[in-house]
Amino acid sequence: MNKRFLLPLLLSLFSSFALANEIELEHDPIPTDRASVLRGAEQVATVCSSCHGLKYVQYRSLLDLGIAKETVDVWRGDKPLNSAMKPQMAPDDAAAAFGVTPPDLSLMAVAREGGVHYLYSYLMGYGVGANGETTNRIFTVTKMPDVLGISAASDAKQREEISAKAKDITAFLNWAADPRAGDRRSLGIYVIIYLLIMTILLFLWKKQIWRKIDAMEKL
Amino acid sequence: MFKSTLAWIDQRFPLTHFIKNDLADYPTPRNLSYWWNFGSLAGLVLVMQLVTGIFLAMHYKPDIATAFDSIQHIMRDVNYGWLLRYMHSTGASAFFAVIYIHMARTLYHGSYRAPRELLWWTGQGLLLLLMATAFMGYLLPWGQMSYWGAAVITNLFRATPFFGEQVVVWLRGDFQVGDATLTRFYALHFLFPFIIVGAVMIHLIALHTVKSSNPRGIELKPKDNIPFHPYYTIKDMLGVAVYLVVFSAFVFFVPNTLIEAANNIPANPMQTPAHIVPEWYFLPFYAILRSVPDLAGGVAAMGLSVLIFAAMPYLDRSRIPGGARYRPAYRFLFFIFLADMLVLGYVGAVPVTADTAIVGRVATEIYFLTFLLLPWISKKEEAYLIKRGLPPAVEEFLQNNANKKH
Repeated sequence: MNKRFLLPLLLSLFSSFALANEIELEHDPIPTDRASVLRGAEQVATVCSSCHGLKYVQYRSLLDLGIAKETVDVWRGDKPLNSAMKPQMAPDDAAAAFGVTPPDLSLMAVAREGGVHYLYSYLMGYGVGANGETTNRIFTVTKMPDVLGISAASDAKQREEISAKAKDITAFLNWAADPRAGDRRSLGIYVIIYLLIMTILLFLWKKQIWRKIDAMEKL
Repeated sequence: MFKSTLAWIDQRFPLTHFIKNDLADYPTPRNLSYWWNFGSLAGLVLVMQLVTGIFLAMHYKPDIATAFDSIQHIMRDVNYGWLLRYMHSTGASAFFAVIYIHMARTLYHGSYRAPRELLWWTGQGLLLLLMATAFMGYLLPWGQMSYWGAAVITNLFRATPFFGEQVVVWLRGDFQVGDATLTRFYALHFLFPFIIVGAVMIHLIALHTVKSSNPRGIELKPKDNIPFHPYYTIKDMLGVAVYLVVFSAFVFFVPNTLIEAANNIPANPMQTPAHIVPEWYFLPFYAILRSVPDLAGGVAAMGLSVLIFAAMPYLDRSRIPGGARYRPAYRFLFFIFLADMLVLGYVGAVPVTADTAIVGRVATEIYFLTFLLLPWISKKEEAYLIKRGLPPAVEEFLQNNANKKH
């Protein structure tokens, strides 16, 4: 392969790479601390769940997360503790009102390219179009109204507050998508430490067994 | 007591003979590099996939109404279900990574060459079985990518001459990918690993007949072989430990990197995802498929791109032994092939544009040319190397071969 051919090849590789990312996501760090997740839980349970359900998240698991029993009781109403978080509005009514059934949010933090950054960018992506209508630059055909009010927020302080709220909601939905992630990481640290110690010991043992062979002439 | 029991068994079954000849004293070249660890690693990955898979099967429900939910049930409600599932999904990728390295080592060192053709071909069969198993397993979570991946790939069989339509319906069990497809893929995904275990036995019998190759590509003198135990038992264990560190890093810290976002949406036959991509281990072959404009041609090229490895013992015509060690042109060709695989993998992962189509086509041509030019290149290289003068070990090897003929 000669060099005159190689350069256009590399260039065409990079140009197609640039094409692949047309929608710019906002890559603000999404918090993972408990306080943010709890604040997000409140937002989701009181605002989002008017229309959206989380069919894989049971109210019981909110107790494990550290939310007070009384608070969970208010959120669940007359539904049992092991019930999934269902939307307050019946899906059919919501479909009639908005034109689509509001999607389930259990896995929303991992179900879009970009993950949590997509979700946050979407919540923050509302704006005002040329004819005064509300638009969303991330998901242009969305039927969801701008619940957080970012499209109407004018001053920096207001935007800051809405941004914080969007991050909390994203943080909670990120937890909801994989509630065992915390257990997984804390167990993972011990597993890796154990394996590293084992690797070092096996390496020394291997050296010991192989020392005569290693001293021989290379083949 | 132990001795008399063993004697009783040995009269009826060659247990001691097997342990002595095939495990403990099994003669192994002393100069194997760490690249030779990947065979035993593949065995370990197979066992881990079998064990995690059987436990997953206890909680999974192969029905389009419940499959997706049952995965979430495993992830959330089953004790350590997340660990089983992530080990299994990461394990699928790990299996291909290990097998591809195992194959790359075989190609680099020319281990497929006589007398190891059957060893190589049984390995080729194992690769096909592994691909089929992974493809069917990917449907089971019943996500969007599961569904559309299976729809696209089964649809390729439309290219079958005369019986295209019938073959597609036969594979799917229905006119579309649906419940019938899910249940049959589940049944076969459970069955195939056991066929793989059987095929691995055949692979190992072939290995123990011809014994391991080595980086020189020349059979070593008996004094340069060492017993498998303790030398390679400890070396394989060290390899396993290093592998487990890397594997655990994926399982515990980034298990989702290899799961497509679209597969966290339940399958929806009414809505095509914006961009259907297969798993990373199929990307180079998928790129070859898409690089040929016509369906039948694309399918043929893709099939050939996997099967052409089997021709290697005949394509490599050099009398110089082994692979890259003594053969600079062969080594150069190997790295061209490797780089080309990476380019094809990239092309397979991105949407088709005018640019990627050209890159894909050129990379496909290079892919096949590296194989098809090998007979000529290996002969040219042989003539050049002989003229330049060979290392004594190679000279001796050629002399011995010449003497055998007379």
